[in-house]
Amino acid sequence: MSLFDRLLGIDRRWIFLFVVLAVTIPILAPLGLPVTTTGSTRAAFDYIESLAPGDIVWLSFDYGPSSAPENDPMAEGFLRHCFLKNVRVVVCALYPLGGLGLANASVARVAAEFPEKKYGTDYVNLGYKDGAEAVMRRLGENIEDAFPTDVNGQPISNMPIFQPKHQTIPSGDAGMGGNVAGIRTIGQFKLVFTVATGLIGEYWITLVNAQFGTPVIIGPTAVSAPKYYAFIGSGQLKGMLGGMKGAAEYEQLIARKYPQMAKFYRSTRLFTGTKGMDAQTGIHAVIILFIFLGNVAFLLGRRRQGRT
Amino acid sequence: MELLGTWIAAFMTLAVLSFLYKDNPIFRFAESLFAGVSLGYYVGITLDQTLKPNLFEPLATNFNLNWDLMIAGLLGAFLYMRYVPRIGWVARYGLAIYVAYYIGVEFTRKLHGEVLPQMARTILPVRGFDFSGIEAFFTSPGMLALGAIIGTYSVLVYFFFSKEHNAVTRPIARLGVWFLMISFGAAFGFTVMGRVALLIGRLNFLIFDWIYPTFGV
Repeated sequence: MSLFDRLLGIDRRWIFLFVVLAVTIPILAPLGLPVTTTGSTRAAFDYIESLAPGDIVWLSFDYGPSSAPENDPMAEGFLRHCFLKNVRVVVCALYPLGGLGLANASVARVAAEFPEKKYGTDYVNLGYKDGAEAVMRRLGENIEDAFPTDVNGQPISNMPIFQPKHQTIPSGDAGMGGNVAGIRTIGQFKLVFTVATGLIGEYWITLVNAQFGTPVIIGPTAVSAPKYYAFIGSGQLKGMLGGMKGAAEYEQLIARKYPQMAKFYRSTRLFTGTKGMDAQTGIHAVIILFIFLGNVAFLLGRRRQGRT
Repeated sequence: MELLGTWIAAFMTLAVLSFLYKDNPIFRFAESLFAGVSLGYYVGITLDQTLKPNLFEPLATNFNLNWDLMIAGLLGAFLYMRYVPRIGWVARYGLAIYVAYYIGVEFTRKLHGEVLPQMARTILPVRGFDFSGIEAFFTSPGMLALGAIIGTYSVLVYFFFSKEHNAVTRPIARLGVWFLMISFGAAFGFTVMGRVALLIGRLNFLIFDWIYPTFGV
């Protein structure tokens, strides 16, 4: 039996072992490989950079723990970026299986890094709501109808975050439900950033952007990323962070623009997209090697069969 | 408590990964537990975050103002009547309104939000070629428009099954297959990256959240 015959009949568990090693070694000893920036991530970053202090944006956690390694770095990067720019952030979760838990954890983690940010004024977590499409339609009519309270059960009607830019709520006034011209609908937001797995991200584009005109940026899992290029091409998306690579690119852009974030991303023990990309490169090398060896072995075997 | 949670998560991760060696009872236990916990979590979160603030509390605090919520609540409750065979037919009313609502929402969303903008973007003027260099030429607006038009129409020809492909349409359909293959290749590459990201996340958890703290690293 030749070497190539043995390769064709290799036990798949050996390949699994190589894969585990290719992931583990870069995690234990990061290589610091460079991450190049793609146009869709650059466009997303530039759009967020163009927001002015006091602008209000919507961050939707539309993913669960099954894609957290890809999506968490995007959501947390976006929160940090907004806090650095003094942009107000309204957070919600529309993914049923774990979206809320991830939103709570990410908001708590990033808010702890920015102690000067006040809950209810600079950011708010509205919690989870079932029925993503129906929720989005309600957001286009009245946010308070969809989310009467925040995640802690506090009514959102009097929260300062929903007041227009640079306007503080007069004492005793009724907020959203009263006479103050507050932020009432999703159409008044400067941006929706959906960090998504599955269809919910698409709903933000084809429903909220199409019907209410709110600009949308998406952070999809890598599996979903190809389909969103069509939406970038049609101008329905302002940008996209495609999978872990997109998250890493975004982190690099933030770090380049804000030196304090460069220091943070270098020193944090948290999992980041940039850290994940070393392992991605290692494992891709292993996959390419095995595809190559498999094809060579197959072709040589076929040639030999042709001779006999 | 957090330490216990980490140990349980680590055990479950290893239990699931043990399938890579071979199927075993520990993997089956982890799989069943995951399915059960997911369903329980879904029910709990819907009760706490959707039904409580949107239905139960408004009805309890101000029934006169919110009585109309009873209609939606009842329609939702109707769906479960199928488990009572004698009045199972009642579930059809809830289901009919549910389906009709989503058809209405989906119809507008698909047409207005997807079909029309995507079609408009495919019908492009083929102009704006840049001959200053190879890269500039292939990324110029004219070339991108040409690529979008050729790609879209050749794929459409491939999927046109009402007439047998002839000498003219066969090569166009073959070109469409090439466009499809390139698209599937890109999707496969992204899929590999996505699945690998999950493995990276789990191994990162095992190393930094479980092994390192356990050994005081």
